[in-house]
Amino acid sequence: MKMKSLLLSLVALTAAVVSRSADPAPAPACCAAAPTKNGPAPCCAVVEKKAPCCDELPSAAPLSARSLYQLDAKWTNDAGQTVKLASLRGQPVVVAMFFASCEYACPVLVSDLQRLRAALPPAVRAQTRFVLVSFDVARDTPAVLAAYRSKLSLDAGWTLLRGEATDVQDLAMLLGVKYKQDARGQFSHSNLITVLNPLGEIAHQHPGLQGDVSEAAKVVEAVAKSAPVAAKAG
Amino acid sequence: MRSLRHLVATLALTLAVSAAPARAQDPVPPAPPGMVVIPAGNYAPLIRTKDEPERVPVAAYYLDERPVTNAEFFAFVRANPKWQRARVSPLFADAGYLAHWAGDTELGPRVPAAAPVVRVSWFAARAYAAWAGKRLPTTAEWERAAAAGFTTDDGASEPGFPAYALVWFSKPTPDTLPAVGFGRPNFYGARDLLSLVWEWVDDFNTAMVSGESRGDTGLERTLFCGAGAAGARDLTNYPAFMRAGLRSSLRANYVVPNLGFRCAQSLPL
Repeated sequence: MKMKSLLLSLVALTAAVVSRSADPAPAPACCAAAPTKNGPAPCCAVVEKKAPCCDELPSAAPLSARSLYQLDAKWTNDAGQTVKLASLRGQPVVVAMFFASCEYACPVLVSDLQRLRAALPPAVRAQTRFVLVSFDVARDTPAVLAAYRSKLSLDAGWTLLRGEATDVQDLAMLLGVKYKQDARGQFSHSNLITVLNPLGEIAHQHPGLQGDVSEAAKVVEAVAKSAPVAAKAG
Repeated sequence: MRSLRHLVATLALTLAVSAAPARAQDPVPPAPPGMVVIPAGNYAPLIRTKDEPERVPVAAYYLDERPVTNAEFFAFVRANPKWQRARVSPLFADAGYLAHWAGDTELGPRVPAAAPVVRVSWFAARAYAAWAGKRLPTTAEWERAAAAGFTTDDGASEPGFPAYALVWFSKPTPDTLPAVGFGRPNFYGARDLLSLVWEWVDDFNTAMVSGESRGDTGLERTLFCGAGAAGARDLTNYPAFMRAGLRSSLRANYVVPNLGFRCAQSLPL
């Protein structure tokens, strides 16, 4: 028995010796992508609307190599609007993945996020967006997300998103969130809070529940200083 | 890696391997060229959550007979420049991506065209599969295919097969990988599953055998602390442990010198 667990640890250790180094490469510029039927600026905020963000955000600049906003997927918020992650550009973002029917971990995770938010100075809090992205492609409709918003009293500083399965998977892969649906439809998942800087790069990650979020709060404060303007996102 | 594999092989060879019964299958339409049919059946997860059944049904699907080669991946990066070495975003592939190739669009003399492509990230593998009109197999699908022996659909109870499945672990990865397609076909006709390279699966990130068990929910927490494998189904299936260990340690942009992939396809509706 001991040998076996020793072996497992060895496996994990050995397997962890995988290449893992940074090398900035030219990034595909989201805004340089071909115009879509939705208009000339596919990277911009609310695709279905007139994209009010575009006047305020420096979205014409190419995205950095490590920006998560390279993901071009379309998400739907709890108001039923189509949203791209790139619309979050220009402000600090705190993102976590969850699902609305989660019985245990997600409410705790959200309460951790609320603690983090409360720990921010008011000016930083006002410009920081808190984003919850659902794993539950089948059940978390905009209406379910809206109900979740009101149940947990999440104000306008929060964005609740649902997406297609492959897009949820992509985002989870980039964040390093592991998840798996069980036979009852519940998800086992990593509890991970991620801070994105205004460029959409991962600035900090906080694993686990009910931990000390002060480090995450400090990072949000630090990256907020690099934000160009307090952006308004829906 | 060498000594680890020796240790694993030696240990595992001394242990009996339990049998997993399989059930009869319905016929399915013939596989596209280069692919084999993996009939519907069950997959017994090595490690599962409290609420999961012991056996997970797996629908019939098509699996590539062999891993994707350098030549095939070369064609992909030629057709999709954003997946070339110099252009790929570090978000989607680490610095070692295709590092063994001579250039962005050049294999070079040390990289045989017919050898399996390795040093590819999950994102790259998935992009290739989509380009080829296919997808990556799920863990359940891959493990179900790999559970077959040479002459039956249950390798674990086939005399000699469990030992065969360990041979690969006892050998270090050669500098130049051999060509794909020369492994003995298994019961379904798939080759090289257990004898050439590790392979990406679509949902590798569902494996939560990780150091971050504090961050996971829903799993038997004690399973991953100290006692390691205590809650696992089949303690004798070392190759499966090794695969689970590898998968849980990966991130989607990682590349590994002996990790490649093959594609799958769902049956036509």
